[in-house]
Amino acid sequence: MKLVVVSAGLSSPSSTRLLADRLAAATARHADVDVQVVELRDLATDIAHHMVTGFPARRLAAALDAVAAADGLIAVTPVFSASYSGLFKSFFDVIDKDSLTGKPVLVGATGGTPRHSLVTEHALRPLFSYLRAVVLPTAVYAASEDWGDEGLEGRIERAGAELARFMGASAAGTVPGARAETAPAVPDTDTAAAIAPRSLKGAVTSVDSADAFTVVPFEQQLAALRP
Amino acid sequence: MQFGIFTVGDVTTDPTNGRTPSEGERIKAMLAIAQKAEEVGLDVFATGEHHNPPFVPSSPTTMLGYIAARTENLVLSTSTTLITTNDPVKIAEDFAMLQHVADGRVDLMMGRGNTGPVYPWFGKDIREGINLAVENYALLRRLWDEDVVTWEGKFRTPLQSFTSTPRPLDGVAPFVWHGSIRSPEIAEQAAYYGDGFFHNNIFWPASHTKQMVNLYRQRYAHYGHGTPEQAIVGLGGQVFMRKNSQDAVREFRPYFDNAPVYGHGPSLEDFTEQTPLTVGSPQQVIEKTLSFREYAGDYQRQLFLIDHAGLPLKTVLEQLDMLGEEVVPVLREEFAKGRPADVPEAPTHAARVAAAKEVTVA
Repeated sequence: MKLVVVSAGLSSPSSTRLLADRLAAATARHADVDVQVVELRDLATDIAHHMVTGFPARRLAAALDAVAAADGLIAVTPVFSASYSGLFKSFFDVIDKDSLTGKPVLVGATGGTPRHSLVTEHALRPLFSYLRAVVLPTAVYAASEDWGDEGLEGRIERAGAELARFMGASAAGTVPGARAETAPAVPDTDTAAAIAPRSLKGAVTSVDSADAFTVVPFEQQLAALRP
Repeated sequence: MQFGIFTVGDVTTDPTNGRTPSEGERIKAMLAIAQKAEEVGLDVFATGEHHNPPFVPSSPTTMLGYIAARTENLVLSTSTTLITTNDPVKIAEDFAMLQHVADGRVDLMMGRGNTGPVYPWFGKDIREGINLAVENYALLRRLWDEDVVTWEGKFRTPLQSFTSTPRPLDGVAPFVWHGSIRSPEIAEQAAYYGDGFFHNNIFWPASHTKQMVNLYRQRYAHYGHGTPEQAIVGLGGQVFMRKNSQDAVREFRPYFDNAPVYGHGPSLEDFTEQTPLTVGSPQQVIEKTLSFREYAGDYQRQLFLIDHAGLPLKTVLEQLDMLGEEVVPVLREEFAKGRPADVPEAPTHAARVAAAKEVTVA
């Protein structure tokens, strides 16, 4: 199964990336997953360009495609001004609105203080609910002080196990709304992106181009308007 | 194959000197550009329709009527005519009138507008955008093709025994293109009627254009108008040329960097790599334009956007000289090579009148 990790950390090393990696490792302990990490920092200008041009540059297209094709997603953001970072939101603003439908998503956030810990509930969860993802019950918030504390590892472990379970159920078709079959394997992303089909919103999708448009036959369209 | 230009009609500040033309100057510039297009041997001039600043062309047939009187051969068209918010009765009348004024040198491209508020300004609901395009166009067709129309629909007051005047020239309505960037419903509509499909690809990567054009071609064949290769396809493209490509890049960069539609996003280099924009020598424009055929197939109409980004009129006229003298003659020759004999030319009024007579005789 394919697990994609989206990290919006900005510094290097980044505690956001650290949490993302820990969550991915915890998931991998409970399921057989191929992990691909998408670092939004590297895509920051491409994301901004997509906003003004309406189409993704190749590297961003590959990242959007990877997320769309994933069996599960881990999304981690630093807390900026009491919410997810603008970069994190921008990435999910340019993604095709249907590409997360039914996908298990584990959300996480990092911050300098534990006072922001509910950001996963009041900011991240509604965002992914809107995108019709299956947001896992356990979200993980890590404040600076948590990295030296006892509870964090347990929460990471529980969240990883949950994601593994949902990904397995999703791949087996037992989660309502999730796709039953495993998505087709994504070839080498550099070449894949250049030829990848795009949705009507310009986002790269993993849908074969022959099926990308569902056309309502014109007679039907016309008939529906008859008074 | 037809070659021409299309204009958005934007009033944009020239970033190199901070000067903004008045609406009057811009309108006069558009008229000069159209007449120059004929002078340098181009086939088509198309104007946009907009109802908000900074755009000036709200009344396309007024403008095209003037150009008709000042030209002999140029086909006058639109890019686009708003089929959603205009009354289809008025479109039928305006363009039939223009056909008579211009001796048939008229076609038009249907579109849905580039700004959401245009719907409420004309009392329409944007959520019905596609449905408006479908119903209004179905009525427009009947108004042109039938002398007396009794009609009832969802969006407009009913018509009882109504005759749209003047009747189309020679009993043949203007040819219609349907312009769409990303709505498969419009490609489907164009295919259903056997009309032309224009993909304004200027801000889009080739992969997307290919997908939309292929859909139209397949559905065109599905509705029995011919083979997919015989469908009537038009494409856009925007260019800036100088003899030496470095000069073109140097001169155009400030315009690109500041234009409302291009600026402050990707670099000129990224943008030219990913979209049809070509900034360079006439030879580079020729090569890029010829490459469109690789993903869109043999097509019928190529329109260039050249009066963009606040370029002064003098520069635009120079661009037209280069298009007419150096680019289009080569494109005509090269596009003709290997073009299958059964791929039709862009429909003209004369050809459509002849075809209509053939049907009557048979």
